[in-house]
Amino acid sequence: MIIAKDVKRYYGSGSTAVKALDGVTFEIKKGEFVAIMGASGSGKTTLLRILALLDSETGGDYTIQGLDVSTLPEAERSYYRLTQVGYVFQDYALINEMSAAENVYILSMMEGKSKIESYDIALDALAKVGLKGKHNRIPDELSGGEKQRVAIARAIAKKPEILFADEPCANLDTGNSKQVLDVFKELNDKFGQTIVMVTHETWHTKYVDRVITLKDGRIISDSRKR
Amino acid sequence: MIDDIRVGALTAFASIRRGNKKTLLFIVFVLSLIFMNLVFLPSMMGGMTGMFIGFMQYPYGDIVVEPSGDNTYINNADNVLQKVRAVPEVSAATKRADVGASIQYKHKTVGSSIIGVLPIEEYDISRYPYIIKEGEFLGDLSRDEIIIGAMLVEGYFGSEIYDNLGGVRVGSLVDVTYSNGVSRTYKVKGIMEGTFELVDLNAMVHYKEIEDVMGLDESKATSVVIRVKNTDDSARVKEKIIAAGVKEPVFTSNDKADAILRQATESIGAIDVISRFVSLIVGAALILIIIYINVLNRRKEIGILKAVGVTPRSIVLSYAFLSMFYVSLGILAGLVLFFVLIWYFQTYPFTMYESIQIIPKVDYLFLVQNIFTMLTMSVIAGVLPAWRVSKESILNAIWGR
Repeated sequence: MIIAKDVKRYYGSGSTAVKALDGVTFEIKKGEFVAIMGASGSGKTTLLRILALLDSETGGDYTIQGLDVSTLPEAERSYYRLTQVGYVFQDYALINEMSAAENVYILSMMEGKSKIESYDIALDALAKVGLKGKHNRIPDELSGGEKQRVAIARAIAKKPEILFADEPCANLDTGNSKQVLDVFKELNDKFGQTIVMVTHETWHTKYVDRVITLKDGRIISDSRKR
Repeated sequence: MIDDIRVGALTAFASIRRGNKKTLLFIVFVLSLIFMNLVFLPSMMGGMTGMFIGFMQYPYGDIVVEPSGDNTYINNADNVLQKVRAVPEVSAATKRADVGASIQYKHKTVGSSIIGVLPIEEYDISRYPYIIKEGEFLGDLSRDEIIIGAMLVEGYFGSEIYDNLGGVRVGSLVDVTYSNGVSRTYKVKGIMEGTFELVDLNAMVHYKEIEDVMGLDESKATSVVIRVKNTDDSARVKEKIIAAGVKEPVFTSNDKADAILRQATESIGAIDVISRFVSLIVGAALILIIIYINVLNRRKEIGILKAVGVTPRSIVLSYAFLSMFYVSLGILAGLVLFFVLIWYFQTYPFTMYESIQIIPKVDYLFLVQNIFTMLTMSVIAGVLPAWRVSKESILNAIWGR
């Protein structure tokens, strides 16, 4: 599903260049729940942003379902982000002036669905993440865990091929973290959702199928559970 | 494109519905002042120009026919009147005969222009009968009576600037010596005040008096003064009068205002144009700054929207809608403010030199033009910064780099 070959991301050039990613190669299959781990500055977030088309690589090849997305123009990348990719930010990245439902259904409307259809999809997605009945609340009226679940609902409502999550539990306590990870696990188990999650908490690995560990922009281990 | 509009509208609507109401109020207040600034001063300027043109109507009505070439009189004034009255748009017309004279009261003498009028006809033509401050206007039998201008009477506005007749009052007897040496004594029947030299430095007697004194035959006059049914139509009616066969020069009061007060009106016009231009630039800059700050405060939001797949076009549209909404509210508030001020200054006019009142003039076409200008500016002000931010890298927008 995802094939990354020798993906590099350098900031600056010459001898002073910072090598955030220095030739990363891996493949992720459909339905996998992958954790990308590593110390701070190891390049895990940079890798995730490149995979989710929020940033561009400096070198290497990157394909999603056989399509070389690294060469796509911005308009097509935008369309790809809308239709194929879900992204959950560490700090939720919700629009504060929109209700939970609006935060979710705006993307369905962007895809051309009617408001009623989009609204139903949003309610369905919010119910999936355990937020039934809270669709009219704005982010300020929700707890951190609930906000993150709205962000997940937004990401999954459009039924993306791949769901990316950048340290989704970084701002949450253990209880809320468990709730979020349970949602991911359920999405992966029940619906076969491919999930790539960046985390630095080792206890999160019990939820995933595979752990890719980075150090100084390179993969130092890639382990699958049996 | 439809989806972009729908999502743009949804984003803008959410921002309006749940955004900070105090900020919204402040933005709308500033925008209303910008709009006011665009339309109010020109209304005052319009009122001032209108006032000057209004002054012109005392001597010239809406349209005036004057003697041709070096002639002192229109020789066939009744014939001219007949042609003029045949034009359907003309509501009334009369002839007048002006002559130079000196007026003496006790030991004071002033030079003045004496206007011979047909009093009954003047009621339909001019404002003279309606600006009598003391006494009464002339009647059809007022052969030994005179109306004198306020600036010739001690104590009235402007009298201190010019020679005056001292304590002359209604009922006083004055001696008038005409330019041909003939003297007559008249009783002052009224004092007229138009707060304008062309009126208040003159005196007025019955037309028949001038005819007698100057030995004019029935059909001589120094002017034929015309009132039209719709003042705004004056220029068109003037052409019709000429087409009706009037050979003498024909002028509208605007022509006369242009000739006599060209400098004044041109100066006002220049100030008006400069003020409108400056207001427009200041308005455009302020709208741009307000919306730009608003957009900059929402860079993160724009980045998020882009990151989740909302198109830049949709984002730009949402800011155009938002900006149009702000400006529309600003225009509405500005209109309320504007009409309150117009009402106030129409009820309590701005007064110059104690008695000259400037009443603001509402030009609805100009208002509509300014509304469209503001709305156009709002679209530009909304689109430009949002377009710039939407072109930024997603990560830069989200993390505010």
